[in-house]
Amino acid sequence: MDNVKVIINGKECIAEKGELLMDIASRNGIYIPHLCHHESLRGQATCRICIVEVMENGKKKIVTSCIFPVVRDIVVETNTEDIINMRKTLFSLLMAEVPGNETIRSMAEEYGIRENLRFYKSRGNECILCGLCVKACEELGCNAIATVSRGTTKKVSTPYEEPSIECIGCGSCASVCPTGCIKIEEGYGKRKIWNREFEMIKCSVCGKYFITKEEYDYINEKCEVLEAPVCKSCKQNEVAKKVLESLMIEEK
Amino acid sequence: MENEKRIEEIIYGYPAEKRFSLAIMQDIQREFNYIPRNAMETISEYLLIPLSKLYGMATFYKALSLNPKGKYIIKVCDGTACHIRSSMVIVSELEKILGIKVGEITPDGLFSIETVNCVGACALAPVMVINGEYHGKLTPQDIAGIINMYKEGEVNE
Repeated sequence: MDNVKVIINGKECIAEKGELLMDIASRNGIYIPHLCHHESLRGQATCRICIVEVMENGKKKIVTSCIFPVVRDIVVETNTEDIINMRKTLFSLLMAEVPGNETIRSMAEEYGIRENLRFYKSRGNECILCGLCVKACEELGCNAIATVSRGTTKKVSTPYEEPSIECIGCGSCASVCPTGCIKIEEGYGKRKIWNREFEMIKCSVCGKYFITKEEYDYINEKCEVLEAPVCKSCKQNEVAKKVLESLMIEEK
Repeated sequence: MENEKRIEEIIYGYPAEKRFSLAIMQDIQREFNYIPRNAMETISEYLLIPLSKLYGMATFYKALSLNPKGKYIIKVCDGTACHIRSSMVIVSELEKILGIKVGEITPDGLFSIETVNCVGACALAPVMVINGEYHGKLTPQDIAGIINMYKEGEVNE
């Protein structure tokens, strides 16, 4: 594989040809602010926050780093005055859209952007329509949600705004949401998401409710392994115990 | 059901390829003036497109409707010229007479109201178009008469 040389904020980084700029930066410990990017769900580029300045063949251009593949040697600056000004514009638009959201508010405040009271918008909806949740649902193969309508009425929803039969209640949409605006209610062995209520099942070790029946069935169907449901922390314990045992044997 | 047969005829008339989804929806819209839910579900199964994606498309395009429309579709122009000539007064008069809101349909299935952005007849502002027939220079007093005309026409048919 060919390698290319990328200089980000003066730091020299070696990258594979075709690698995305965002990935190269994060691998080298350079933070580029972003909202709609998730390392396993690439290619959104809707929030535009991750814009950076690229010098290529003596020409300057602005690109969204999350979808920019590096194919030749380039010089990148992530925080020039131009970039900061553009991010300020983006954040003031976002603040006008979802003034009540804490994530957006704290990111915007870093750029000195406060809520503009001239454009008052009621609190409640904190979605920035980045589409990451839709992508997550699609990648999982459920396709329970989509962006519906357009313009000022655009939103993320299930078909006909009814509880979706495709939904497995896994909550992936909520966990990738950058603003944390997808609501999950959980309690008494039930989980409610996208207006649908799911029965949950208990971990076979600790007895805690941790997964919906639909998600458990879906995983088993996809992976064709039928094992008793074990929650994440119990699984970790199990692995830790095994490691410890093997170490003890080695010691002997 | 007669509807179901016709819907299937339209859908299965196309090859089962994703790129025909919009064409199918347009055909169904033309035939029924809206896209019934069972049609959406059949398309989804036939083309293997998730219902959520189709729903997203159907709500995106203004030419597609998911709610039934009346036999007479009243399109009230709310373009700039009509708007300043109080087209919204015409709308509220219609809403009062028919007892429905914009985007709804009367219980007898005869009328539905929608607003559109300019029908290209600004000289006649304010205008409404009922199934292709233009009614211009409207005043709120005209509305009841026009609606009755269509209702009577229905009785005589």
